[in-house]
Amino acid sequence: MTATGARRWLLAGTAAIASIGSAQAQTVNPNANGTLAGTTITNTATASYTVNGTAGTATSNTATFLVDRKVNLTVVPVQNTVQVNLGQTGAYTSFQVTNATNDYQDFLLSANQTILTGILTGTDTYDLADLKIYVDSNGNGTYDAGVDTAEFIDELAPDGRATVFVVGNIPASPIGTMAQVGLQVRTAAGGGTGTPGAVLVASAVNLDNQTDVVFADDDNDGLLGYDALRNGAGWAYGSYDIGVHAVNLTVAKSASVVSDGVSALNPKALPGAIVQYCLTVTNGTLTTPASGINLTDVIPANTTYVPGSITIGGLGTNGVCLVGGFPQNDDGTQATGPYRGSYDAGTKTVTATIPTLLGGTSLAASFRVKIN
Amino acid sequence: MTLRLLGAAVAVAAIAAPALAAGPLTMTTRMMVEKRSAAADGTTRTTLVPAVRVAPGDRITVVLAYRNTGPAPIGNVVLANPVPRNVAYRAVAPGTPAPDVSVDGKTYGSLADLRVRTPDGATRAAGADDVTHVRWRLSSPIAAGQGGELAFQAVLK
Repeated sequence: MTATGARRWLLAGTAAIASIGSAQAQTVNPNANGTLAGTTITNTATASYTVNGTAGTATSNTATFLVDRKVNLTVVPVQNTVQVNLGQTGAYTSFQVTNATNDYQDFLLSANQTILTGILTGTDTYDLADLKIYVDSNGNGTYDAGVDTAEFIDELAPDGRATVFVVGNIPASPIGTMAQVGLQVRTAAGGGTGTPGAVLVASAVNLDNQTDVVFADDDNDGLLGYDALRNGAGWAYGSYDIGVHAVNLTVAKSASVVSDGVSALNPKALPGAIVQYCLTVTNGTLTTPASGINLTDVIPANTTYVPGSITIGGLGTNGVCLVGGFPQNDDGTQATGPYRGSYDAGTKTVTATIPTLLGGTSLAASFRVKIN
Repeated sequence: MTLRLLGAAVAVAAIAAPALAAGPLTMTTRMMVEKRSAAADGTTRTTLVPAVRVAPGDRITVVLAYRNTGPAPIGNVVLANPVPRNVAYRAVAPGTPAPDVSVDGKTYGSLADLRVRTPDGATRAAGADDVTHVRWRLSSPIAAGQGGELAFQAVLK
């Protein structure tokens, strides 16, 4: 080999090594979870010796065994809760499935919408419609309708990972705000690309020179969950939380003359009389709190606002204020209590702000005017 | 393909070896796996069973039995056992004299004295995972009709 030839060979060799290095970074190591199932392990010993000064050698038999299939997997939610909207189609939760088996495996997917309280935070109150399970085909971690269409995980390499989406439609008027789903992942036989394999069953009888199926997976969801120890399956759970929710909010208004300067028992709406307006806001949706309620009311013509008369938080039904709430500052600054009130003298508008109104409850706001 | 051919060659050699019959030294190797079972007194008992159910991570014991079937004593006996592929050496089995080990098949010694060359050209102390060969030198000849057993523990990668 000439010097030039040697250099060329060296360069080629370097390039080859570099390309192997980059390829390994992208592909998974088939032996990541141990020696591949079905591998034959062989052992042979040799010896040397002398008998009466003559050297000799000996070779033993060859002992062999087959490496069994140690089935293991992990299933974890990518996020415990996803925020969804009423009537949303294609809402999905994401899960990650990792093959911890020492061979390539298929994984079959199914979902259950009956989830016992206690596995996840919150309570399962509604179900999704048209529930489907798809595998992330392009590895972007986002469900792409029409692109992610595979319904089982095909030929997942040892230590390989796949993202699974549980996709469904949120009802337009569900009960409550949370749906919970459980994803079951069962280990199935690999080998046929494009077709789901049969679900693995642990070998009852261990045969020599046969690749036995040994389940080594844990019970990953505790007593309440569906998973069991060494069943070749894993479960994970996720919930669909309706963050933006329409509530049935109603407001009733009433007016009552508090005093007219003439009759204390039966005051009339005379000029100079003080009239109290009562606004009762009711959240008719039992399970959903309403937040950020703003009540505004322009005072009637020919009346004058009584400074410092706004109170919020009183009990009220049908527009009648029964018990007074927290007095508010007219300039909108925070007074005692969680609410805020203000009076704009330019627009003659009274505003009452209620941060949260629990489902099925009502609350009153009142202010007073003087008849001119 | 190359690997398969090599395997076939080994198998042929193994079958041929007993047929030679010229050598007075016979050797039999077998692989056992540790099986844990609950004993009656509540402790966990570890027994060695033939390697039928073996999964990655399981502890196996490689046993080498030898016997002098000839009429004359056999001297200078050196028994060598390459560590099987996909198996990592762990330690010598209880009751077996300490072997010499090698990390390259050429230099033998105790594991503490061996060093491994790293890809960057330096060397580091060898560990059990690096062992590729296990070898025993018998200090005394094997008398006619006598034999013995040697064993080492390993783990399936």
